[in-house]
Amino acid sequence: MSNHDKGFASHVRRGLMVATVLTAAGLAGAASAAPVTLTWGMWAGSDAEIAAWRHVADLVTAKYPDIKIDLQTSSWPDYWTKLPTLAASGQLPDIMSLQSLRTAGFTSLMVPLDDFVKRDNFDVKAFDDSIIGGLSQDGHLFALPYDFGPLIIYYNADMLKKDGVEPPKAGWTKADFVAAAKKLTHGSQYGFGIGGVDQVISWTASDGADYLKDGQLDLTNDALAKSFQSYVDLVAKDKVAPLLPSSGQQLGDLSRGGYAAGNIAMIVDGPWQLINLKNSVKFTIGLAPVPAGSKGSVTVTAGSGFGISQTSQHKEEAWKAIQVLTGPEAEQYLASQGRAFAARIDYQKYWYEAAAEGVENANEALDAALQQTRPYVTTANWNTVNNLFEQYEPLALAGKQSGAEVLSTISKLSAQQ
Amino acid sequence: MTELSRERISEAAPPAAWRLNRRQIQNLVSAAGFLAPGFLGMAIFLILPLAASLALSFTDFRIIGTTRFVGLKNFVTAFTIDPVFWQVLVNTVLYTVEYLALNIVISLGLAVAIANLKWGRRLFRLVFFLPTFAPLVGSSVVWLLIFTPGGFLDWLMDVLGLPLPNLITDPQWAMQCVVIVSLWAGFGYNLLLFGAALESIPQHYLDAAAIDGATSWQRFWKIKLPLISPSLFFGVVLTAITSLQVFDQVYALTRGGPGAATQTLGYKIYRDGFISYNFGYASSIAWILFVIIMALTVVQLRLQRKWVHYDA
Repeated sequence: MSNHDKGFASHVRRGLMVATVLTAAGLAGAASAAPVTLTWGMWAGSDAEIAAWRHVADLVTAKYPDIKIDLQTSSWPDYWTKLPTLAASGQLPDIMSLQSLRTAGFTSLMVPLDDFVKRDNFDVKAFDDSIIGGLSQDGHLFALPYDFGPLIIYYNADMLKKDGVEPPKAGWTKADFVAAAKKLTHGSQYGFGIGGVDQVISWTASDGADYLKDGQLDLTNDALAKSFQSYVDLVAKDKVAPLLPSSGQQLGDLSRGGYAAGNIAMIVDGPWQLINLKNSVKFTIGLAPVPAGSKGSVTVTAGSGFGISQTSQHKEEAWKAIQVLTGPEAEQYLASQGRAFAARIDYQKYWYEAAAEGVENANEALDAALQQTRPYVTTANWNTVNNLFEQYEPLALAGKQSGAEVLSTISKLSAQQ
Repeated sequence: MTELSRERISEAAPPAAWRLNRRQIQNLVSAAGFLAPGFLGMAIFLILPLAASLALSFTDFRIIGTTRFVGLKNFVTAFTIDPVFWQVLVNTVLYTVEYLALNIVISLGLAVAIANLKWGRRLFRLVFFLPTFAPLVGSSVVWLLIFTPGGFLDWLMDVLGLPLPNLITDPQWAMQCVVIVSLWAGFGYNLLLFGAALESIPQHYLDAAAIDGATSWQRFWKIKLPLISPSLFFGVVLTAITSLQVFDQVYALTRGGPGAATQTLGYKIYRDGFISYNFGYASSIAWILFVIIMALTVVQLRLQRKWVHYDA
């Protein structure tokens, strides 16, 4: 055999070896589940939030090494703009995040989870009832919840102390609230920061005013107009809250920015904001239930969870993943971080113990709010309603139109679209 | 008949397509080959989406749920039922008229002023052109800080003692914010265009006129303006088209508010499509805007015969 031939033979041998190894690897791959990468669409408002979600995504891979999660975050308003576009182009993420206020508008893109729950005997009872209801449509569950929470008052404890205002407690009334806000407003400092439709509803509910009638939007009733007027008058007449423009940022976000910067003493927001605020403020945060109107301190509860998109090619893996994303370990972590008031009842203690640490009156405020809260029920076109408030409410804030006129326009426009 | 004259005849009346000789066929094939990539790109990225949006404008497409053909319903809704359509249309037209006039006057005035400078022409052109480089959405955020209640503009008005209300929260004034930001961002392009045209005017025309005793005012109206009229026309047409489509400034600055005070057709398309998920209706508004722009451009092309001079 010449040298040349020898060389050829060794080539062939090496080639065969490589082929054998490759085949073996292929067979091994087939024997265990092939690695799957699931896409997960989620909203996030800060680096702290993105880090929290990435941590939770890693919990899935830790439990199921074959499941990798590709986390795709957008800002809150952009998430809802992007979703239909992704749906139209058949690129919905495997795991979809759903907020209870938008359940009615998006469940047609998602898989009902009832069969999975029944087959695996999954314990839905471990979650708070109201948020399971909020993520269900026509009796079918579409997402496992990770959080929920009532809208509450965030106050700047340092500012209140400096201006000699008693920290608000459960049972305080709107008269107390306005008096406090007036005392806290001086110079470039404001007592209160206004919000959009969410904050409006937590204000009007305490006056016993309804925004729905038989499940349909009812914005033109007198009780709502009167209560809404008293809300916008905090800016237009009492001037205890800054006048805000309709702009690229939502009203509630602008107010939260002012609160975090130490220019606004009180805002209304959910417990899920604690992660962002605790990381960014230089003062002591305090919490209180919303001030009581004629019907007591009534607030609304909203929450969010994760479901499976109809177009997902990996529904089984996605079901495994969302159980981890809303599982005990994730809930403990999210609650401790202040990202979520846990939807799993047994894990709410971590929010109280860890997230609320150093926050004034946090436990009392949450307890009181949870007793008088009701689910935030919405209509299918809630995204439109929400945006119309952002666009038209500033007219009433600037005193250019009455609250009733603004509500009537929003009502007309949302019915048309 | 000689060979020569026969050739002339065939030149005068080109042969029908099926009588092409081999060379012509070869030419045709290679031409098609060269055109194909460009045409393919245009078909996929331009013609197809246009056709799709036209088709959508006759449906109630919402992505979620079933889609039905609704005929002209979307267009009828826009003109007769939609409570804000007419206001939005009027907003768009008023914005275009105001912005177009101010843009042309400012950019032309500054172009003439800069052309008369002894030094620093390039520097000034660069400075005024700079905003064109900045992404409008980003600079709008800075402008928002200026316009916001209690912001820089309010402070300035206070110091100067001018009784101007806060622009951005007042429905009567809010559109002026959009106009100001658009002017800031937009006039640099026309300034450059008109500046280049002014530079290309032969100096001896102006010298001759000066010797004849023409004042600088007369030289501007009688010589410079007619000679740069083709560039002026180009600038007017393009500025009109882009201002009818205005979206970025509105999106970043006011989101159409307060109320519908700054809502334009361009922003309404986005609103109806991506916020209310009413893509069929949004498409029909887009086509209404298309027709308006088309009509305006045709009118301008017709009118150019009256004032544009190409025979410099």
